[in-house]
Parts: sequence; C-alpha cells; structure tokens
Amino acid sequence: MITHLKNGMIYDPAHQKNGVKEDLYLFQGRIVPKPLDPSKITQTFDLTGKVVMAGAIDMHSHIGGGKINIARMMLPEFQEKRLQETKGYTEPEAHVCTPNCSHNATPSTTDTGFRYIEMGYTAAFEPAILPINARHAHLEMGDTPMIDKGGYAMLGNDDYFLRLLHQNADQKAINDYVAWTLHATQAIGIKVVNPGGINAFKFNQRRLDLDENNVHYQVTPREILQKLSRAVHELGIAKPLHVHCNNLGAAGNFQTTLDTMGASDGLPMHLTHIQFHSYGTEGEKKFSSAAAQISEALNKNKHITADVGQILFGQTVTASGDTMMQHLNAKHANPKKSVIMDIECDAGCGVVPFKYRDQNYVNALQWAIGLELFLSVEDPWRIFLTTDHPNGAPFTSYPHLIRLLMDKTFRNEAFAKLNLDAQAMSNLTSLNREYSLYEIAIMTRAGAAKLIGLNDCGHLGVGAQADITVYTDQPDREAMFAKPDYVFKNGELVVKNGKVVKVVWGATHTAKPAFDMGVEKGLSEYFDKYHTIQLDNFKIADDEISDDGRGRIIANPSKSNQ
Amino acid sequence: MDSAHLNATTMNATCPACGLLCDDVQIVIHQQTIQVRNQNCSKSQRFFEQAQIVTTPKIAGEPASLQAAIQHAAQLLKAAKAPLFAGLSTDILGFRALFNLAQKTNAAMQHINAQSTQRNLRVLQSAGWQTTTLTEVKHRADVLVCFGTDIVTHNPRFFERFIWVKDALFCDANQRDIIYIGENINTSAGISPTGNKPTVLACNTEALPEVTAAFRALIQGKTLKCTHVAGIPISALSDIATKLKQAKYGVLAWVAKDLDFPHAELTIQNITESAVLLNQTTRAASLALGGSDGDTSISYAHTWLSGVTLNDAPIAHDCMVWVNSYSPDKLPKDANLPLIALGQDDSGFEHAPDVFIPVATPGLDCNGTLFRVDGSVTLPLKKCREATYPTLSAILSQIEVQL
Repeated sequence: MITHLKNGMIYDPAHQKNGVKEDLYLFQGRIVPKPLDPSKITQTFDLTGKVVMAGAIDMHSHIGGGKINIARMMLPEFQEKRLQETKGYTEPEAHVCTPNCSHNATPSTTDTGFRYIEMGYTAAFEPAILPINARHAHLEMGDTPMIDKGGYAMLGNDDYFLRLLHQNADQKAINDYVAWTLHATQAIGIKVVNPGGINAFKFNQRRLDLDENNVHYQVTPREILQKLSRAVHELGIAKPLHVHCNNLGAAGNFQTTLDTMGASDGLPMHLTHIQFHSYGTEGEKKFSSAAAQISEALNKNKHITADVGQILFGQTVTASGDTMMQHLNAKHANPKKSVIMDIECDAGCGVVPFKYRDQNYVNALQWAIGLELFLSVEDPWRIFLTTDHPNGAPFTSYPHLIRLLMDKTFRNEAFAKLNLDAQAMSNLTSLNREYSLYEIAIMTRAGAAKLIGLNDCGHLGVGAQADITVYTDQPDREAMFAKPDYVFKNGELVVKNGKVVKVVWGATHTAKPAFDMGVEKGLSEYFDKYHTIQLDNFKIADDEISDDGRGRIIANPSKSNQ
Repeated sequence: MDSAHLNATTMNATCPACGLLCDDVQIVIHQQTIQVRNQNCSKSQRFFEQAQIVTTPKIAGEPASLQAAIQHAAQLLKAAKAPLFAGLSTDILGFRALFNLAQKTNAAMQHINAQSTQRNLRVLQSAGWQTTTLTEVKHRADVLVCFGTDIVTHNPRFFERFIWVKDALFCDANQRDIIYIGENINTSAGISPTGNKPTVLACNTEALPEVTAAFRALIQGKTLKCTHVAGIPISALSDIATKLKQAKYGVLAWVAKDLDFPHAELTIQNITESAVLLNQTTRAASLALGGSDGDTSISYAHTWLSGVTLNDAPIAHDCMVWVNSYSPDKLPKDANLPLIALGQDDSGFEHAPDVFIPVATPGLDCNGTLFRVDGSVTLPLKKCREATYPTLSAILSQIEVQL
C-alpha cells in the first residue's frame, strides 16, 4: 500500500532541504514517515540522481471563468490547428501535447489540466473571479482535471462595496462583506483590479490615479486598497490582498505602483503581474524600464510580495477585469478584434488578443523588464513565477522562462536578438544572477503555498499532500522542466515521462473566515432592490462543486490577526 | 431537495423558458401540480404549469423497458460511424454528460438554435464587441434602441424587470428613451409608466441591413447624401444618433432570431460597431437578447470543454441522438436515419423514433444549471416536483456502459 521514492535529491525549501539525498513514503494521498514494517511497501521508484520537488503551484493563472471562455469563443483560429493535429488519438493520449506543444493561449479545460500536470504543476489559481460569475468559474474549474484549483474573488469595483465606502461604513461592515463574499463565491483570496477604475469607466472616466476620486462615489483607489487590505488582514485570510494596480500598461505607471506599496500602510499586499506596472517614461520613445526602482522598493518593503507576469514572444490573448485600460489597449489588438464588457454592477472584463514581437521596441523592453525584476528582487519567497497566463504568454512557456532565469548565457543570447533600441534601454546583461534549483523550488512551490496559505501543499514534509514531481537533472533547464519523469498527485502516479498515465480530479481550495451573518440583512435589501437575481442564488453551495462525484472542497485554515 | 421542501406549498423557482432566467417566479405546488403565482409571464406559466407527461421508454413506438431501450440506443450508437447529437435543449449538467458521450462515440454536435447563435458568434469572431449585462441596463441605460425586435416576444418580462423599474441607481427610469426600428413591432411594452411613448421608425426587416449601415455611418459622423433610407427619413435616424451621443449609457439591443435573413451578422455588426464608436466619447453598449433551450449555456460549455464553439454548418451523419427538454414542439428533420430521442415527450414525431427515453426536465423535475442570455450570470435550477424519469446524465451514463 505504501509507495517508496528512493534516493532522490530532495529540494524542499519549506524544510531547508537543498538537494539532500532522502527517501519519501506515500500512503493514502499523504507523505508518511518511513514505515516500521518494510513489507507494507508495495512499489518502489529508484530516483537515484533525480531531482525531487513538491508539485508546483501556479498562484496566478487565468484558467477558468468568463474572460477566458470569451477568448476561446472569439478566437477559433487558436484552436483549429490543434484540433487537426489531435484527431484520431485515443484517451488519454487525446489530450497529450504533440511533441511541439502548440502553446495554446486558450486551452480547453481538459487541456489546461493536462498541460499543467505534464509540467509537474499540481495546482493553479484563477486570480480574477467576478463574484457574479463565480458559478461559471467553478463549473470550468470543475471540468479541469488533474490539478487542484481555487480562485480569488474580485471586489473594489462593485457598487455594493463602493456604496459602503461612500457611506463611511465602519471596517467591521467591510470585513463582514469581504468574508461573506469569500464564502458565497467559494474563493480563497480577494483581488482588486484597477481599484475603483472599472466602476469609474462605467461613468465614462477614462483613467484613475491612486488619489483621484471615482466621480460618482467620491472615493479614491487608495481608500479602496486600505479598506480591503485591512479586511483581508483582520479576517485572517492567509492570502494577502491581490492587487492589480491602477494604470496597467501605461508609460510612467511605476510611480502608481510605488505609491500603491505606500498605500499598504505596512499590511501585507501582493502586487500582481508587476512587470505590466514597472514602466518609466525615459528615452526617445517615452517608454522605459523602471524595474530598478520597483525591485528596490520590493527589496525594502518586506510586507509586499509580487508576481512578475513575464511576457514571452508570440501570439496570445490578454484577458483582464480592467475594462478601463483594456478599452485603451484595444487599438493594439492582434488579430484586430476585442471584447469589452460591463458586468452586473460588479466589475467588467476586457479581452484583447496580442502578438508580442521581439522586434517591437515596447514588447522587447517588456520582456527585458520582466527578467530584470526577476533578477533584481532578492528574496525568492516574495517574487513569483508567472506569465499572468495567458496575458504575458501561455503557461506552457514556463519551462522556457525557467531556463531564462537559470541560464545567463541562454538569456543573453535571447537578449541579443531583440530590437536594438530596446537593448540599449535595458541593463539585463549586467545582471549576472542565475536562479538555483532551490530558488526555483521556492518561487514555484514553497513560496506560493505559503503565500496562499496552503499548509499541506508546496512541501515534502510528513503529512503533506503527496503531490510530487521528479525531474532528470539536465543542463538544459527548459527540457528538464518541460518533461518530468514522474508526477504523483495525491500519492498516485499520474504522469510518466511527461505523459499522463492516469486521469484524476483535484480539489478546490477555499478559505472560510468567520463573520457576522447579520451582513445578509443589508445585502438582501440591496439584492431585492437593485440586483437582478436572488441573494440565495448568488451563493454557491458546497454540493454544486462536490456533487458530481469528482469535485471536493478543501477549506484552508485562517490565521488569527486580530 | 429533501422531501420536507417538496411538501411546502410555495417556493421561488428559476424559469428556463427564456434567456432572462427570472429566479423570482413564485410557484405553488400541490403534489404534482404546479401553479405560478406571479402571472406576469405567459412563458413561465406555460413552463411550470405543464402537466407531467405519463409515458414509457419506447422502441420503434412500442413501450419497452428502460433497460431494453438503453441497450438498443447503445447498439445504434455502436453501429453508427458518424453520429450527430442534435437538439441539445438541456442544461449544463445534462450537456456535460452529452459531451462526454459524444467524445466516446466520436459524435458531432449541433444545437437547436445553431442558426441564431451563429449570427452573433460570427460578429464576435470577426470584430468582437462592447457589451453589457442586465443589471447594468437596469441602473444605467438612459436610451434603449431595439433593432428589429420588440424583445418581449422572446423575453416577456424584459421591460418590467430591467427598464420600468422603481430603483434605478444611476438614471431616472421613467425618463428612459425607448426607440424601435423595424417591422410590425409590438411597442406597447416600451411605453413608460408615466405614459411616455417610444419612438418608432418603421421599416421592413429586410431593410435592416441598409438602415443599420446608415445608422452606423451617422454615428461615425458621416454625412449622407440621400434623404431617406428604406422609407425612414435620415433626419429621424440622425436624431437617434445624436440622442445616443448625448446619452450617458445608450444600449443597442437585438434578438438574433428576429434577424432571420441572409448575412444577418453584417447587420448585427453594424449595431455592435455603432456601440464601439459611441464609446469613443461617451458610454454605450450592445446587448444580444432572446435565448432559450439552453442555447447560451450549451454554447459556453461546449467552448470550455472543447476549446471551440459549436456552429451551424450542415453535418453529415448516419444516426441522430435528439435531446429536447424544453421545446417538445420542435422536431428534428425527418431524415430516415436511426433516431434516438431523449426528452419530455414523443407525441410530436411523425415517425416514431427508433428509441425514445423520457428524461427529467431540469428546473422542473430535477436540479440544473443555466447561463442567462447576457452570459455573465449562471443560476441554479431547482427541482419543483417529484420526478418520474431519470436525469439525462443518468441515462447517458447507462448508455455509455453498454458501448
């Protein structure tokens, strides 16, 4: 009954194990101590010389919900080639990548699960669930096999919250609403996108700075950030407020990003896809790297974490709740089409296809800025490896990105091919850092689990969920991370030599902090008067996720911060 | 739902009879009979008050055991080289099971509303659009233009629930400007509670392509040399363009089913591109309405499950699985091919299907999940009465076992 993983080199930063030769034992989905009775070991994998890590965790990837499905519907051209390629395969090969993975920016739910597990990822988190769209997000995640999943619920642009702020509601009222939303949407964290800006766009405001008022509610993004980050902190939600800053993608926006760090008032805050928020206005083209300023601030402010949102060259699609900025970006759409949508007095969404080109000055510099950030932020526990899938690149590009981080020669060769003006504006080649396997394990496992509050994931200690990835140590890190030898999900062998050998269904991670149910009084008045659905139908029952026999909810513990 | 709920005499139900998915329908249940209390919608009344049909599984029109019917259906599917799953009038949970079986049997799929859905999808796939949803309409729309539709034929409660409301947050609902452009339109729902009459520009449905093209040009600020288009004075169209430019949140609505002429997608694109142009200076949005037979839901779920949308191209097939939970009056084309029918009733078929299996109707006999026509809201459907028949997914999984 016990699986024995023998002689692997363990990279487990949560336990400070940096390539230590050790054995692991798996039993009933967990990592267990060495059994006293060796006869209970029913299978043994000799991992001599292999690199062993916990399953990787993508803490920010748009894997489910309205935006990506709109992208799929709008962009049939992304799928047609792949559909031809995979015709005639049988299960599970039907879902397995062709040798040259199409790097599809909008994979189906099945492909999403398969592509992740094939790379050794065992969990991914949808970072932008509109509360009104949460049922849709969970339906899609419920159809995503192989991995655990979860999501962050978006607040801060919904009229209910902005009314609370406008009426000077006390922090407790905000806290109760935030906690109620987490329960109702079955989410694990709270996100804010362009605080106040999505809402302001509905009143025809076209930009919103950190200290500028939303014209209707007369509240600023700073106030929204402060109320929400305090609520998250006081409720003991492990995942810090997930912040997509104002002024995404705009030249000179690094100042907004620095000011947003300042607005955190010392409370934990996570700044997401920070690459898109690290732009200066230097140089002839008035677009430059501010990675140095941003990474310096990150190094100094220990309560701030960030993920990068690296761009990689090629065709993708950007999908964001940030209608205000996506409406501005729609003129760059490639192919030339986009969807901008106001949604339910809740938020919005903007879907704009993009082709990042290495000979385009701005794109080339975006690429360099992302890598500058990775290499200049000192603490790998506070910076996370993302492409903001699919916004910067599809998540299937991670092995390539890991090689860029671990291999300076490879990186500099890639840099030398970029637009020359962009090269002149980047200090990338002066950054000599190469990430170690240990640091990669922090960024993609231990750090991500710690950030989200997944106590049983991201590490290889006794009691951990037995999600384990085994690689062959190769100098070509892209090849290494693209094709693990083995992946175990909840103790079961599910991938062998980069191919799925067994289909399994993961759990949905949630957080359920305590709150005062009295909040429903105001909410139900609001729903009756203003909403177009019943309050009870807004809330997602546990059995909607678990009733089909393959879904399962994990309620992760809250911290006590009060 | 537990039996305690079933004994209760009243409940709020969600109505799947049109795309609005009203979830405030009060129903009174006496054993197996249901009565709708708020009688403001003939469609929901017809849906909830329909009698439970007493029937049995059948093979070639003759009553058969469920087991025999399932076995025969599996045999037909096994023998087929190119099955087609059509109708697809069901909910998300039923469709997931259908999709799974379609993959196992290498079947193609097409929805009963493929043509009208495709009119909208062609626009999305060619240019995208800028749209809104019903709660935003309720609180923001100060001008509403209905192109070629009265809306209420499809969505009877649209004006009651989203236009003539008491509590619009960001505009004065009574002062809303309602404009209809089209043919033989019932405009009574567009009269405000205070008696303000809507503007009506009459033109033939076939003329909508040129009328919307002229409208789009006017929104773009172009001067037209003609004085009329399809009998409508340019000045009248121009007034509407001006109204929209001065509006805070204009909404341009259509129902794809009502635009039933060749290349209707170009007309829809004129509407959606007009909304995009308006957003250069003010706020506006387009809004596709209508929807039923779970079309939005099936379109969405097929997209996330497969990566691609369904379409309306003719599909060669040698066997059909016809699924129809919501519109028993709609029937597949009689193609003289093996036919497996799953739904409420088989009484409408001219020739008895090779296999008929009655299934529970989601939202009446069993729980379910559907998307609203505006795409962002998904609602649970509730079981309202004790079901006599198994769910679609239960039947399909039994067929799958026999394959």
